[in-house]
Amino acid sequence: MVENYAVLPCNGLDKCAGVISGEIAKRLCEGDKNEMICPVFYRVAEARYNKIAAERPLLVIDGCPTRCASKLAAEKNLKMSKKITITEEAKTRNISLANGLRLCENENSLIEIILSGLLADDNKNDRSCDKSLFLNQFEYASYQKDKFIFRLPKNAEFFFNENDCWAYVIGNRARVGVTDFVQKSLADILYFFPPDIGAQIDQFGEAGSVESAKAVVELISPVSGKVVAINEILEQKPELINENPYELGWIAEIELSDFESDKELLIGFDKYFEIMKKKVDEFNV
Amino acid sequence: MSETTFMGVERDKIDWKPVIDYTKCDYCMECVKFCPHKVFEVKQNEEIKLIVKNPNNCVVFCRACSKTCGPDALSFPDKNETTKKIKEIRKEMEGNG
Repeated sequence: MVENYAVLPCNGLDKCAGVISGEIAKRLCEGDKNEMICPVFYRVAEARYNKIAAERPLLVIDGCPTRCASKLAAEKNLKMSKKITITEEAKTRNISLANGLRLCENENSLIEIILSGLLADDNKNDRSCDKSLFLNQFEYASYQKDKFIFRLPKNAEFFFNENDCWAYVIGNRARVGVTDFVQKSLADILYFFPPDIGAQIDQFGEAGSVESAKAVVELISPVSGKVVAINEILEQKPELINENPYELGWIAEIELSDFESDKELLIGFDKYFEIMKKKVDEFNV
Repeated sequence: MSETTFMGVERDKIDWKPVIDYTKCDYCMECVKFCPHKVFEVKQNEEIKLIVKNPNNCVVFCRACSKTCGPDALSFPDKNETTKKIKEIRKEMEGNG
């Protein structure tokens, strides 16, 4: 539930999604429930908001994927506790937004839906997973370029796609995540977007995404199936993906639907390690 | 920078690239700044200022540039169709091999 938060909206006054972002921020800050950080004033008079930003969890409301508010938060070294993007919320709910700047029926209903989600009590039941199934410690091979070390687990139960994501498969379950190549390319990960529990994901579909000041990158799922758990700790500590994306930085757990077929387009440690080394050599991290 | 194959299949045989909706694109060029594979090209002095210049440089199944696109002007082919096609080509290759 968003209460006692600092709320940082985008300032897209010339776009419908920006106007919605501002409206939601205003509604959340009515009364004394939350405090707004004005993105414009924050740039010129930082001190005005330093105390709120330091003492309260932060909700960032981006209007569109240009991510002005997220980038401002990253620039000011603020940790995002929650984040929404209005255009994404509209897309998920199949609501089309107006080209103009006035809030009409569609925009107002989207605002109400988003607000009720933000103000509802967090229901975290059934989001945990059977932790006993998976190990959290592996033997690694590593490849070094300059000061950067890229690790890769040698465990035979790890499968990779050429999109730098992994699946750790035990029986009909898999944990999925990104490799060191992704986390190092992104640098400090500031936010984690989990997939929805219960969502059906195709092979190569999106199983959540991670965001740094540089970019948002989706986890391109190596396997198909149903999301049965997410790594909740990442919601508060996305930096665990930087520390080790294979152990405490795993992203989701998937109940496999057709692993035999998925396997046709997956590779093991030996092949992916060669691919990763080549990418590291070509890429300026 | 570009890969010449994906899962052993020649990249040229896989249709995977961004498609720009010019009715939405506002030429902010965030996608160009983001993509390290030089898929896009900027043509500052022409009416259409952005094109997909190197479609085969695009990493198959990557959609990351669309996440940078404020006006949601970038789309990609259907991934299930693409997956199916790659599997078919691999089967043919096995048959020929």
